[in-house]
This record gives sequence, C-alpha cells and structure tokens, in this order.
Amino acid sequence: MAANNNGDKGTRNLVIAMVAFIVAVGVIFSLISNRANSNYAVPAAVSEADGYGIVLNPTSTPKIDVYLDYQCPACKAFELINGEYLNEVIAQKKAKVVFHPLTFIGPESIIAANAAACAADENKFVDMNLALYKNQASSENSGKWQGDAMLAVGDSIGLRSDSFKKCVADGKYVKWTGNVSVASGKANINSTPTIRIDGKDLDRNTEYSDQAKFKAALTAGGVK
Amino acid sequence: MGDKLKIAQPWLTLICRLVLGGVLIAAGVLKIGNLQKSAMAVRAYELLPISLANFLGYSLPWVEIGIGLLLVTGALVRFAGFVGAITMLAFIIAISQAWARGLSIDCGCFGGGGTIDPSQTKYLSEIIRDIGLMALGIYLYFYPKGRFAIEK
Repeated sequence: MAANNNGDKGTRNLVIAMVAFIVAVGVIFSLISNRANSNYAVPAAVSEADGYGIVLNPTSTPKIDVYLDYQCPACKAFELINGEYLNEVIAQKKAKVVFHPLTFIGPESIIAANAAACAADENKFVDMNLALYKNQASSENSGKWQGDAMLAVGDSIGLRSDSFKKCVADGKYVKWTGNVSVASGKANINSTPTIRIDGKDLDRNTEYSDQAKFKAALTAGGVK
Repeated sequence: MGDKLKIAQPWLTLICRLVLGGVLIAAGVLKIGNLQKSAMAVRAYELLPISLANFLGYSLPWVEIGIGLLLVTGALVRFAGFVGAITMLAFIIAISQAWARGLSIDCGCFGGGGTIDPSQTKYLSEIIRDIGLMALGIYLYFYPKGRFAIEK
C-alpha cells in the first residue's frame, strides 16, 4: 500500500514536471521566434526603420503607412476605391508611402507577400500590389494561391524574369514577412487595412471607403 | 439527497475537469499556430501597454494548454481550477470593458481576434460562456478530488 502511494506520488510529480516543462519551453520558444531578425533577407526597397515595410519615395513627405493582408477582403475593397489615387500620389512623389504586407490570415498571405516583395526588387511593386488584389479568391485560405499562381499573377503585369521566378519559387522573402508582422505588432496594428499618415490613424469608418474623404484626409495630412 | 450528492461528487469533479481542461487545451492549441493573431487579439482590448499585450499574446496559449493538461490528467486540480477560474474572470472583465467602451473586437478566445465589424460582436454569449467555465473552476477549487485522477 505504501509502495503504491509512493508510486502514485511519483507519477503525479512526473506529470506536473512534464507540464511545467512543456509550458516553459513553449513560452520561451514563442518569445524567441516572434522577434524581428535583421539578418533575414529583405527586398532592396525595405527599410528596417519603417517597420521593415516596402518604401516608395523614401525622401518625400509626409509619410503614409499602409498595413494590409493580400487575402483581406476589406483591403481589396480599399484598393479598388482609393488605390488609383494613392498610386497617383506615389507616381507624382507627393508622399513617402510604406506598404506593410501582413500575413495573419494564413499561409497564402505569406505566398502573396513574398511575391510582392520579389516584384519590388524588379521595380514592379505597385503593379503587383493591384494585381494581387484583383486575383484575390472569393474566400480566405481557399488554396487559390498555391503552385504557380504567383507566376501567373506576375505574368499578367509583364513580370517574367528568371530572377522573379526564382525569388517566388525559393520563398526568398518569407522570413522577412515575419519581421513585418513583429514590427506591426509593436505599432499596435489590430486590423487590416490600417492607414496612417505621419503616424496618425485615418478613420476606418469614414475615410477608407469614400474617395472624397480619403483625398481630404491625405490633404489634411500634408499631401499637396 | 446528501448521500446522492456524495456519490455524484467525484464524477461531477471529473466532468468539470474534462470540460474546463478540454476547453482550455483547445483554446491554447488553436492560438499556437498563429501567435501574431493571438497578440493582435490582446492588443485590440486596449487594456495593456503594447509590449505587455504582445508578451501575453505569445505566452497565454501555452499557459492555457498547461492548466488544461493538469485538469485533464487530474494533477494539482485545486490549483489548476483556481487558475482556470481566475483566467475566466480576467476574460469576463476584459470583454465587459470592451463592450462598455464601444470597442468592436473578436474576443480571440479560440484563435480569432482583433477589430471586427460592430454587427459581428458576440459579447453577451462570450461572457455567459466564460461565467459557466469560471463556475466549473470554482467547483473544482472546492471539490478537487474526483475519479480517474493522477493524484489521489
């Protein structure tokens, strides 16, 4: 009877120790792997100081930050309503615009963000950005962006170079997407799209889906 | 009647352990695969400084799994039940303040999280669910000994 009790106590302590070990290892592992790593490969247009985002017009002011996920329907809606004007602002160098492709919706977000980064290396980010939204599936995590999907999207904007294809196939910038996520976490981004001008949030309820209000918000923020 | 309760109690304890423990393990496992979203869920409550919210987002899923495992195996049941109840109380407070302040967020309890459309908030059902789970934790604090437990 006494031996049985000692055996029970031993099993119990073992179970408790194992649980404690799992929790400790898990927490430590999660904390370590959710930090930005400046050794990861990043596209040439990326700036660590700007949250590892893809920067257009680095020397212009004011600064507009666009946080997005390529699988996010609301982001597609924003692009279709206000993307054209934002692209004009970029082309006319009226603002520094930083794109932060987030990847929390699922693995296909990572595939798309990587492709967008590869396109940035070939100076075709803006076109790729729009092309990805137009190619967005009707539901999230649908499997549409597996296989050669990104090569087809690249092809649709005239992007057919070997370097682009290799970049996509190798997943060259997949680790970079982790840096983008960590940085956006520190910037307190809790939904997509989120648009800020010189660090100040635009009003998502009124200014994202209305062309006139969006323009007015940018003008008020210093875009000439 | 008292005798019937005496016979039933070890089984009730087992049921409480399995339900609360199972829910906690499921909640933790569903978050582990997307810790960025878990951190986003905590930030969206606008209750904690960002770095603390992120830390909680990364570590809470593991704690849920740990407490859930203790409950399911029946080790340190009183402690685990207590922690489980306190955790539920914290969620109830967090969801209630989000509701009162007019935030529209997903509670993030099972892997979702962040800002959502106001018409999609489910605060009342989330609070009721967590009150129920808290009750299980409280019961286990007072009646930790039950059937099929590692500790006798």
